[in-house]
Amino acid sequence: MSQRKRSKGSGFSQGEEGDDDCTPSQMRVLSQGSRNLERHSREQVDQKVSELVQFLLVKDQKKIPIKRSDILKKVIGEYKDVYSEIVNRAGRTLQQVFGLQLVEIDTKHHIYILISTLPRAEGENLRQDDQTAKLGLLSVILSFIFMKGNSAKDGAVWEFLRRLRVHPGERHEVFGDVKKLVMEEFVRQKYLEISPIPLTDPVEFKFQWGPRAAKETSKREMLRFVAKIQGKDPAFWTSQFKEAEGSPGPL
Amino acid sequence: MSEAGGSGDFSSPRSSGSDCSRLSLPSTSRNGAVSEHKQHRLSSGVGRPRPPASEEEEEEEEEPDVVWERPRRPESADATGGGDERSRRMIRNQYRELIYSVQQNREDMLNSKSSKLTEALEEANKLFSGVSCAREAALDAQFLVLASNLGKEKANELHSEMTAFDSPAFAEDLLTFMGLNRIEVEENDSDNEGISGGYLPSNAWHKLGAETEKYFRRAPSFHYMLGSFKSDPPVPRQRIERQKKATGREEKRAMPAQLKKMEESHQEATEKEVERILGLLQTHFKNDPDIPISFFDLVIDPNSFARTVENIFHVSFIIRDGFARLKLDEDKLPIIEPAKDDEGKDDDRNAQARNQAVLSLSHQEWKEIVETFEITEPMIGPPCNSNEEEMETA
Repeated sequence: MSQRKRSKGSGFSQGEEGDDDCTPSQMRVLSQGSRNLERHSREQVDQKVSELVQFLLVKDQKKIPIKRSDILKKVIGEYKDVYSEIVNRAGRTLQQVFGLQLVEIDTKHHIYILISTLPRAEGENLRQDDQTAKLGLLSVILSFIFMKGNSAKDGAVWEFLRRLRVHPGERHEVFGDVKKLVMEEFVRQKYLEISPIPLTDPVEFKFQWGPRAAKETSKREMLRFVAKIQGKDPAFWTSQFKEAEGSPGPL
Repeated sequence: MSEAGGSGDFSSPRSSGSDCSRLSLPSTSRNGAVSEHKQHRLSSGVGRPRPPASEEEEEEEEEPDVVWERPRRPESADATGGGDERSRRMIRNQYRELIYSVQQNREDMLNSKSSKLTEALEEANKLFSGVSCAREAALDAQFLVLASNLGKEKANELHSEMTAFDSPAFAEDLLTFMGLNRIEVEENDSDNEGISGGYLPSNAWHKLGAETEKYFRRAPSFHYMLGSFKSDPPVPRQRIERQKKATGREEKRAMPAQLKKMEESHQEATEKEVERILGLLQTHFKNDPDIPISFFDLVIDPNSFARTVENIFHVSFIIRDGFARLKLDEDKLPIIEPAKDDEGKDDDRNAQARNQAVLSLSHQEWKEIVETFEITEPMIGPPCNSNEEEMETA
């Protein structure tokens, strides 16, 4: 991951050029940041920016959100004082070079994910692997949750999945341990949020959309998906349609 | 659940279970009053306690402080019949059963068309008429919590504006999209289990996933094409490779001699093969002109993947030259049928749209086809060096 010689490609925006499109408040921050910048050479900071870009790209492979503490520990190190400068520039690079957006999904705990700003390429021969199949399962769950009013009980979800020959207790030929996939992996990736319902004994869980799902897709898109599968117009489900049109989304 | 007798106010040794007098219910000083209270709940019209019950209760009222001195109460003391341990245990069991059945059949109870929740409430009400002690009352309270949670959920599902979402229909449509091959199911009514019969192909979820990707803005997984490490690890691998090459060289010397022989007649061999297969096809079509041959039956050699690929290669010449046509039948399986002679090759080229197709067949797929279609013998026999041609029908 280390780069001895970094080529100054057109993708990297230098700190000074960015000043042009800054608002006055950002100018103030920049001037403070630029004082810190003077402590480190420009090459060093550029180096850190590209290291961060690579770090984020690799960390995103498993779709597990990236913690700011990890970023600070593994990449930023002693450049902590110019942290925001580095992160902002890394974000710009990701956007301009890769078409990816760095999004903070938890402003309290500072957790980030990468999402694509480009629409998905269409084509017949795109790669299909386990991630593809898992996304199919996830979409089914997300659309079920939305159509049922943004929240569903675990019993209802598993009963629905049973109709699709997916059983929590059995090993699935594609997904393996489905229960683990749904209740642990999807939750860790922040696609789903599963919380226990109080006053239930034995404990039951509530399924909701996680913050990653809210960013990577939208209610409108999931409604479109349901409509396509069922061969109906999205407006067929009037209240869900109203809700979907009203909610903001990345798409 | 603590024993009803273990109320905080009276530090008394545990006496017989039938002693229900130690109820620390602040609102009443009499046991009897508690059961009256319950009677109120059940029968809306009743105002005052029933005279017969109050007789025994009045006894206790006169000596509220001395109540705890009575270790044993006569069985008939409690008018509402919860006096002895056995019946109380029975009530507790019935409550537990009721709670369990409500929990297990939750989805059923939520169904807006079912009145099961009401029935359960009525049963609990009946049970409650036999309750006079805190322990059973606690179970009743537990049931009440459960029932009211369910009631709340049912109310939630009644969203007057929310358009009903038919999830079973959605599930069926999903299965259809995934390519469910619905075979005729004779016996059981699939509606009972809520599960469709039929064969779901192994790429079902991948197919669905490919569709759903359009609705997501997922960042593609980033992987370095050449690996993310620097050069060190490959070195030991090279050493191993060199060793393998050393042992392999001798065998290679033997092989080229054979290869050379084949190469000379390579061109002719292909044409010969194509002709042979064409002859086979035409014979078959002459015998049964209306029955198209399944493509798989024709080309698949269950014993050799390589020959299968060769067969497909040879058959493609036949199709290219217009002697046969490849189509999909009603089950979407490929069949091969003769192109009529009188259509003429030239007309064929101009009038009909000629399509190109690329077929791919992996070793795994080949094995699956052999299994699925139960192909035991190859229809196209192995190429023979002699002039005689082998013809085996599948």
